[in-house]
Amino acid sequence: MNRAWRFAIEHLLAVPVGVVVALVWANAAAESYFTLSLALSFAVNNVGMALFFALVTQEVIEEMVPGGALHTWRRAMLPIVAAIGGTIGAIGVYHGYLLMGDEPVLTSGWPVVCAIDGGVSYFLVRALLGRHRATPFLLFLVIVSDGIGLVTIGLHQAVAGLHVAAGAAAILAGLGASLALARSRRTTLWPHVLISGTLLWWGFWWSGLHPALALVPIVPFLPRAPRDLNLLTDEGPHNSAVHLEHALRIPVQLVLFLFALVNAGVLVRGYGTGTWAVLAGTMIGRPFGILAAVGLSVQLGLRLPSQVGWRELSVVALITSIGLTFGLFFATAVFPVGPVLTELKMGALLTIAGALVATAAAWLLGAGRFARGAGLN
Amino acid sequence: MNGLDTQDLAPRRMRNAVRCPRRLFAVLAALYFSVVGLLGQALTLPNRPDSLKFAVIGDNGTGDTPQYEVGRRMAAVQRSFRFDQVIMLGDNIYGSQKPQDFVRKFEEPYRPLLEGGVRFYASLGNHDTPAELVYKPFNMGGQRYYTYARANVRFFVLDSTAVDSKQQMWLENALKDSRDDWKICYFHHPLYSNAGRHGSDVELRVLLEPLFVKYGVNVVFSGHDHVYERLKPQKGISYFVSGAAGQLRRGNMKRSDTTAAAFDQDQSFMLVEVDGADMAFQAISRSGTTVDSGVLHRGPRP
Repeated sequence: MNRAWRFAIEHLLAVPVGVVVALVWANAAAESYFTLSLALSFAVNNVGMALFFALVTQEVIEEMVPGGALHTWRRAMLPIVAAIGGTIGAIGVYHGYLLMGDEPVLTSGWPVVCAIDGGVSYFLVRALLGRHRATPFLLFLVIVSDGIGLVTIGLHQAVAGLHVAAGAAAILAGLGASLALARSRRTTLWPHVLISGTLLWWGFWWSGLHPALALVPIVPFLPRAPRDLNLLTDEGPHNSAVHLEHALRIPVQLVLFLFALVNAGVLVRGYGTGTWAVLAGTMIGRPFGILAAVGLSVQLGLRLPSQVGWRELSVVALITSIGLTFGLFFATAVFPVGPVLTELKMGALLTIAGALVATAAAWLLGAGRFARGAGLN
Repeated sequence: MNGLDTQDLAPRRMRNAVRCPRRLFAVLAALYFSVVGLLGQALTLPNRPDSLKFAVIGDNGTGDTPQYEVGRRMAAVQRSFRFDQVIMLGDNIYGSQKPQDFVRKFEEPYRPLLEGGVRFYASLGNHDTPAELVYKPFNMGGQRYYTYARANVRFFVLDSTAVDSKQQMWLENALKDSRDDWKICYFHHPLYSNAGRHGSDVELRVLLEPLFVKYGVNVVFSGHDHVYERLKPQKGISYFVSGAAGQLRRGNMKRSDTTAAAFDQDQSFMLVEVDGADMAFQAISRSGTTVDSGVLHRGPRP
């Protein structure tokens, strides 16, 4: 792999580059942009993103097994509480903002504020705090928050399901095929993806579940070897020939670029009440919700992770306001094409401002790399 | 009589005017607009006895004075131009949607029309709620999108806030099945608009315009931008923005070479008359001034 590719992957540049291209294109030549984005959106959002969610699930599973950063439930309790508090705070402020406005159609858009962009958050926490104990705390928090959003959109889509019996049969067949493949001790993952994955995709589609989540149930059956924490990069000690992450690394980067390209192109005047509601929910509601939940938990006897103080926690809480990729995904899952979707997508895009706020907070609080005497790398 | 009847509240205002200078100023302003209205009141429409006549309002449901004044102007016009149908382009009820709001923001402003048997056919805007689907005077039959025919015209009413694949399929089938002379679509968000705040919704245009072109839609009405604008025909289709029957964004028009006519200085509504292959239209301001008018000719269907 050449140096540019490696740099792009390690710095998670696929999404930002896709976002910039989409924004410039949409505002310079809107008709050609939307013609392309509407033509590609189904394939990218419903098929391509299945690879991304498979990879995310793989990461989560590997961090939860012994040796993983998220291993043991004791360690997980506080981030779970923080995630729930942050989600409640975000949804509460989102709805509170809507009460001041006058667009009830936006009420069902609340899953968008559950979203946290795991990749960008991880990159930012490493950039601001270095190799810090706050990192696994943040990762668990992200997983729980996004999990709540995914379950929500899963249920939201399920209501519209038309062929539930056929869908359930296909899902069972897919799971059975994956189990059989796992027992046959095959070392390549493509039979899982192509046979079980295809059956599950159709099963999800027919059942009304979001098909981008179709590969999630078979991830535990995939061949793997133990590895270190390296989200979306490939530096672990595993057998790379069979590892999901190795196989999907480049396809997922391409998918993420296309996802950003297809979904991030909004006209600059496409803002509206939904935009500000998403921003208020994620940038005010979530950080306050997280800090309030953690404060309450500490009062009730839970302990902060070692070496994590309130300064680091505040920075982490602000980092979680970045919804970006997941925010765009949740928005497209909740609303069809139209001005409301555009407003919410713009809100999800603008949450990137959370990176600036978190950086400013780290600097002001002297946290992580900004700590007195730490020196910037 | 082939003219617009301008009923103003000038006499009552005059009685109170002497009490304070502010009222006097208000009365003078009302008189000014009345004179302007009288000068511009001529009905430009053919007003033939057997033609289909309807009015167009958008972004109306504020419950504020301008909406009531537009309602009075419409009722006055209706005495001479006997339209029996009003199409609503969305944002029918702003804010709270309690039963009393439906009275204050819809039934009261249009009471003379409702009592005269005029039927309203609503589309949903971004400020509307599903409660409106089952509000009988809106004639939506519980549907977000629906179609109905009057004379030789078929109307297609869309929910442009959320154009899902189901609605697209429904629209394509409905357009395909229609054998009516005129196909008129109306919905809230404009595919073409030169107003400054929202402007054209290009994503919706990419989605809907190919269907409109393929199945021969003649005219499209939208609101959302709180102005009046008539666009030059785009791919053979005439587009109107009429989103100022209650709200107004004064001075918001940014005319371009696609603008045929525009008005952003006062609230407004439209009158339309379809007679055979001709569709005459007239846009009228709250004060009664004709701000635009013309006739569209429909070519023969293939």
